[in-house]
Amino acid sequence: MSARDTILAAIRAASPANDSGAIAAEAAALLRDPVRPALAAPALPKAFEVKASALGTTFDHVADMGAVPQAVRRYLDGHGLPPSLALQPAPALAALDWTGIDTHPALAPNEPAALGLALWGIAESGSLVIHSGPETPILLSFLPLHHIVVLHRDNLLAWLEDYAGKLAAQAIPRNAILITGPSGTTDIEGSYVRGAHGPGFVHVIMIDGG
Amino acid sequence: MPGKPNPRVGLFVTCLVDAIRPQIGFAAIQLLEEAGCTVEVPQAQTCCGQPAFNSGDDRDTVRLACQTIATFEGFDYVVLPSGSCAATMVHGYPELLAGDPEWAARARAMAAKTHEITSFLADVMGYAPSGRRLAASATYHDSCSGLRELGIAAQPRALLSHVEGLEMRGLPGNDVCCGFGGTFCVKYSDISNAIVTEKAEAVEGTGADLLLAGDLGCLMNMAGKLHRRGAKTRCFHTIEVLAGQADGPAIGEEG
Amino acid sequence: MHTATKAPFKDRAKAALADRTLKLAIDRTTGTAETKRAAAVANFPEFQAARDRGRAIKDHVIANLGHYLEMFEKNATASGAQVHWAVDDAEARAIVTRICLDAGAKIVTRSKSMLGEEIGLPHALADAGIERVETDLAEHIIQLAGEPPSHIIWPAMHRTREQVADLFREGHNPPPEAEDPATMVQSARRILREKFLGADVGISGANFLVADTGATCTVTNEGNAELTTTPPRVHIVTAGVEKIVPSTAHAFALLRLLVRSATGGEMTQYTTFHCGPKRAGDADGPEEMHIVLVDNGRTRMLADEFREMLRCIRCGACMNHCVVYRQIGGHAYGGTYPGPMGSVLTPVLDGLAASRDLPNACTMNGRCAEVCPVEIPIPTLLRAWRTRSWRERLEPGSLRGGLGLWAWAARRPAIYRLGSRIGVRVLRLFGKGGWISHMPLAGGWTGHRDLPRPPGRTFMEEYRARQKGTRK
Repeated sequence: MSARDTILAAIRAASPANDSGAIAAEAAALLRDPVRPALAAPALPKAFEVKASALGTTFDHVADMGAVPQAVRRYLDGHGLPPSLALQPAPALAALDWTGIDTHPALAPNEPAALGLALWGIAESGSLVIHSGPETPILLSFLPLHHIVVLHRDNLLAWLEDYAGKLAAQAIPRNAILITGPSGTTDIEGSYVRGAHGPGFVHVIMIDGG
Repeated sequence: MPGKPNPRVGLFVTCLVDAIRPQIGFAAIQLLEEAGCTVEVPQAQTCCGQPAFNSGDDRDTVRLACQTIATFEGFDYVVLPSGSCAATMVHGYPELLAGDPEWAARARAMAAKTHEITSFLADVMGYAPSGRRLAASATYHDSCSGLRELGIAAQPRALLSHVEGLEMRGLPGNDVCCGFGGTFCVKYSDISNAIVTEKAEAVEGTGADLLLAGDLGCLMNMAGKLHRRGAKTRCFHTIEVLAGQADGPAIGEEG
Repeated sequence: MHTATKAPFKDRAKAALADRTLKLAIDRTTGTAETKRAAAVANFPEFQAARDRGRAIKDHVIANLGHYLEMFEKNATASGAQVHWAVDDAEARAIVTRICLDAGAKIVTRSKSMLGEEIGLPHALADAGIERVETDLAEHIIQLAGEPPSHIIWPAMHRTREQVADLFREGHNPPPEAEDPATMVQSARRILREKFLGADVGISGANFLVADTGATCTVTNEGNAELTTTPPRVHIVTAGVEKIVPSTAHAFALLRLLVRSATGGEMTQYTTFHCGPKRAGDADGPEEMHIVLVDNGRTRMLADEFREMLRCIRCGACMNHCVVYRQIGGHAYGGTYPGPMGSVLTPVLDGLAASRDLPNACTMNGRCAEVCPVEIPIPTLLRAWRTRSWRERLEPGSLRGGLGLWAWAARRPAIYRLGSRIGVRVLRLFGKGGWISHMPLAGGWTGHRDLPRPPGRTFMEEYRARQKGTRK
């Protein structure tokens, strides 16, 4: 008997098989009236910002996409970084006017800063959502020290379950990632140190207008 | 939940109180009578079986459980001056006898009327001591079985608040085990010692005159450690203080 | 037999108790963990309802494990992943090693996985001549120290920052510029960065296996899981079969409990679903993804009284709140999993005869169950092992004999009362005043603390005397 058959036979011997319709109904019932913490504020943008800020994510607000390069420049200057940026290969970003900032698609192992788009923000936890794809290298969110993320306020979701619903409604990507603040570790004596293997800085440029 | 006006209470003294500190048994009788109970101490009682239960000796535990049920099930209530022994009767017996329909029913019926004494006095009888005075400071350790299996936390504190002059001081780690654990403390004595040493340090740190708790096993462990360390803390079962006996000898003091 | 199996645990515990640096390290981390968890729970007033829900989700999965494993297999396969099944640790090691060798792997990066430890992956990779690079900071620390993990969330909990500094000074070239945690973390980041990008295979565990998508889910705070699983050509996941959840939303319900219980945070920094290999056109990602589903005793637990242990989501709260763990640390337990949950699991994995001390070395105080996010009745399960140990005659003869004699007397009230009367009088002989400070055969007690000297008469004697007095 294969390992698979052995394991499944042992499971069947221990638990009676249930009708799959009944199992699905029970699983669905377990998601009804989800038990979840209250949002940090009634309005999603505020709730999102409160949660994300608590973890060290910083914010800038601009009216539209056109203002993103200026916001990026503000951030780089504010951190004493050269005007150079690894840019996510997304048309929405490529179309912007990057005069004065050297943008490049390739990522160096120690890339100082990168700019990418988040699909959604989750207010409950202050998480940014990234999906892998042709325009979205995963390493863009992990190799740089400074990860700058553009998020449209219309793409804020209230709860983790709302994101699960979005994910279920589409073809699932290789990687679906919820990024919640800069990387950190508590592995030395339990005390928090910001900036482990992933970015030490996460900066959100929120598009407030249309 | 108001109890019967003059209930017949079977007092389960517990082995440790019987052998080491009879005063606790008499304090229990006094308080139960003040609360309006008629107290009886069945002579057929021995041990609830917890040492066997916690050692995995289910066969002997079952025999002792049945014997205890037969001895006490006729009372309106069964009351014990120990959260740990009470928890064995309230949770352990029904769990252990679940496979035997007749005894399971009897175990459940008895469990429903079995109480640790401070919770019985406060919750069932609505009792509060009056006219008790004690000019002392005290700290309270929550014994684990009573706290987690029976929810005893507010009751002893509420009862103690009626003792005039008694200043209660918070104990850091009040809900952390003292390291007694029944046979654990001798089977793994080095580990137990490390745990009770931290407990003794916490007790000493409060500077309280008295250490109170609701289980004699824990009290013997903590009192024995405090004494070995040369601490002056005097240790009593909560109900000894409630019964006005704290002017007498504390645990380890000659009467 | 039992002395042979018992001695090592007690010796290990004794050595741990004598190590004050170890105690300092444990206190620093568990103290922080306890405080932060309490705050996180206080900030989520519905925590108890969330626990009930989490428990119900796990129970639902456990009751329908075969259904969900097949659903997961089907969806994972459809996503392009290859699903393997392993009955035990040896099979799991063989599968992983073979995949690595087939991939021509010279360097393998690993993202912390307790299942990997359970199946003995570190040694298996070494035996296959493959360089293993642990990427979780704590795993990196203990790899430098040549030690196994001592905690399931903080594998290097037993090391103080001063000891980590010593290890990094030796193991990092160049050594860290300073010895504060932040600088040391930066040094590890620098050292490991090149390894991430040069690895041939990345191995991770899974916090969840999502049945309806076929995705595996990892949660980390450091970002090492994604750097482990993205650059190499091959990504291998090893996971216990109990890690299944019906859907992403169910995973989130459990994640809320896991994070709060583990670190006292609200959300892990990186919560990542991995679904198959790199897709056509994807900018990065592995070309192969393998998922090894491991049984290793889990289906046995499904059939016996340890079934509820399959709810465990590996948060480590039970050990952070355990008085025994906090005194002796993780290594003294001698198994892959330490603390209360480990004392339930180790007898499953290593056999009861070799580990009978673990379920016994517990005061049954119940704090572990109180903090367990999925309400596993750990003391009850430990007692079940004690019952088995007693039935299988693994307990020492002296205990069996002594307890047997006591129980015999306890069933005969008159004899028991007589025994108590004699007992207290004998006990009194060993002390003076109110205390007994030394007594033969009672060294377990009097070696460390004094014993209150009983009064001359038992309660029962005194009570009967008073009863007679009132009747006169």
